[in-house]
Amino acid sequence: MYDAIYIEGKAKPAATYVFEHFANDAMSAASSKGMPVIRIVPETIVSESTATATIEAAVAAAFDNVIAVLTGPLTAEEKSPKSREPEHPARLVFKGTLAEVNRFFYQRGWTDGLPIIPPTEEAVAEMLTGAGLPADRLVEKLEPRQGKATVERIAVNAVMAGCLPTHLPMLMAGVHALAANPVCGMMAASTGSFAPFWLINGPAAKDANFRATYGATSPGDIANAAFGRAMGLITKNIRGIRKQVEDMGVLGNPGKYSWVAAENEENSPWEPFHVSRGFKKEESTVSLMFPQSFQQMMPFSTDDKGILATIVGSVVPARQGAFAVLLTPNNAGSLADGGWSKRSVKEFIIKNTVVPEGYYKRLGLDDSKPFDRGNVVIANTAEKNAIFNTNSRFPDPVQVFVLGGFGSWMGFLQGGPEPITKKVELPQDWAQLVKKYKNVVPTYARY
Amino acid sequence: MSETYEVLSPWAEADPIPLKGLSPRLDKLDGKKIGLLCNSKRAAPLILDATEKLLKRRFPNIETSRFFARSFSVSSLEKDREGEFNDWLKGVDAVIAAVGD
Repeated sequence: MYDAIYIEGKAKPAATYVFEHFANDAMSAASSKGMPVIRIVPETIVSESTATATIEAAVAAAFDNVIAVLTGPLTAEEKSPKSREPEHPARLVFKGTLAEVNRFFYQRGWTDGLPIIPPTEEAVAEMLTGAGLPADRLVEKLEPRQGKATVERIAVNAVMAGCLPTHLPMLMAGVHALAANPVCGMMAASTGSFAPFWLINGPAAKDANFRATYGATSPGDIANAAFGRAMGLITKNIRGIRKQVEDMGVLGNPGKYSWVAAENEENSPWEPFHVSRGFKKEESTVSLMFPQSFQQMMPFSTDDKGILATIVGSVVPARQGAFAVLLTPNNAGSLADGGWSKRSVKEFIIKNTVVPEGYYKRLGLDDSKPFDRGNVVIANTAEKNAIFNTNSRFPDPVQVFVLGGFGSWMGFLQGGPEPITKKVELPQDWAQLVKKYKNVVPTYARY
Repeated sequence: MSETYEVLSPWAEADPIPLKGLSPRLDKLDGKKIGLLCNSKRAAPLILDATEKLLKRRFPNIETSRFFARSFSVSSLEKDREGEFNDWLKGVDAVIAAVGD
């Protein structure tokens, strides 16, 4: 819809075809750009359809509406929409028992379906001790709704998710990461169900108990579980991206609950990810990717040759977007022992990951066209059979992260834009905060 | 008796933004030049192919011109093409857009 609004702003009438199930999404997008009266042409063409006959029939059915949208007289409201009242929701919205608070929040679409911690004045005040900033400080305005991500509003969502105050600086960095790339808004709303993957680097990751070792992305640690959950609630309640209203993910993605890991810097043979992106080792960062999928593979063998062959052999020609390899410390160590740097691993993957000879022909296709639409990596490649190549949109299409426990399984994140990395700004009394919350860790009973 | 909690709203404030109305409509399509804006989603060109056929069948004196976005949204994601896009817009009377969703 953004293009239609731009076109109308240039004094040209526009008619945009919109799949009937996306009408709410289209109107939210238009409203967020100041044109709540935009005209659309609802149709019945399923997103991403290539069924020509069905498309022709649907266009024929909608065609009179296209003409009406372009030529029908404007109403007074369409000529001059009524200005809206500013949205200043009451600060205190409800009083009730734990169950009543949860019911109230759930029914307003403010949760992810799981129970929340009630964000009381007291709980939010404690959370704000992690900010070192005034509660009303604006961190970012987040698209598409342009919701104001103030320190307090971030803290409210953090309380709901179960965060500790030591997670708040990372959440504010995460909010900056979301705002840094307009593609992020589209990723969270896309039919492709892209889910945010958050990588935490630097000493603050350890201070706040973000897990980097065994089961780094599995449930069981407050930091990894609650950080991603809070960012998901921020996506709903501040950005205004709600399921089947603005988030039109078709299949959905469990990664949207929480998909967070710290890099296992202690056991990596290479420089940490944030250092390779220009930050100092003693700084802490939050990095964001938006993959669609997560694949795990046992390497063909655990030496450098087997690990690299497994990566290259596991990448399919139909893949789209950015790519990240998740290596355990052992996998990374094997590569380092073989003389590989992170950079040379990336170069090897880019150079050797190719579409097999005759691949499209075996599929009954003339060429790679069906795969090219979402894969600018292929579309702009200089080498015809290369799967990865660098270009202006993907200058660094392959990433390498070292995380997880001591083992041989490796993982691949597929899809979405390249990572965004933002520095975590810690409050002055960080050391005292860490002392207060560092020991909040599970102690498992032996049996 | 259950403990009660008075709770803060997680829903963010948002300032009102200046609202814009729609641009004047055309009196008719016949004799006009209609821009067909195609984003990078694969249903988009098929939708516009079908539209173009119907336009030309119904309005014998209509002209069409296509603009192909490289992404989902030329105006928000392809700032480097703003001049090219504006030049194209200046040359058409109205736009029919297919975004593939």
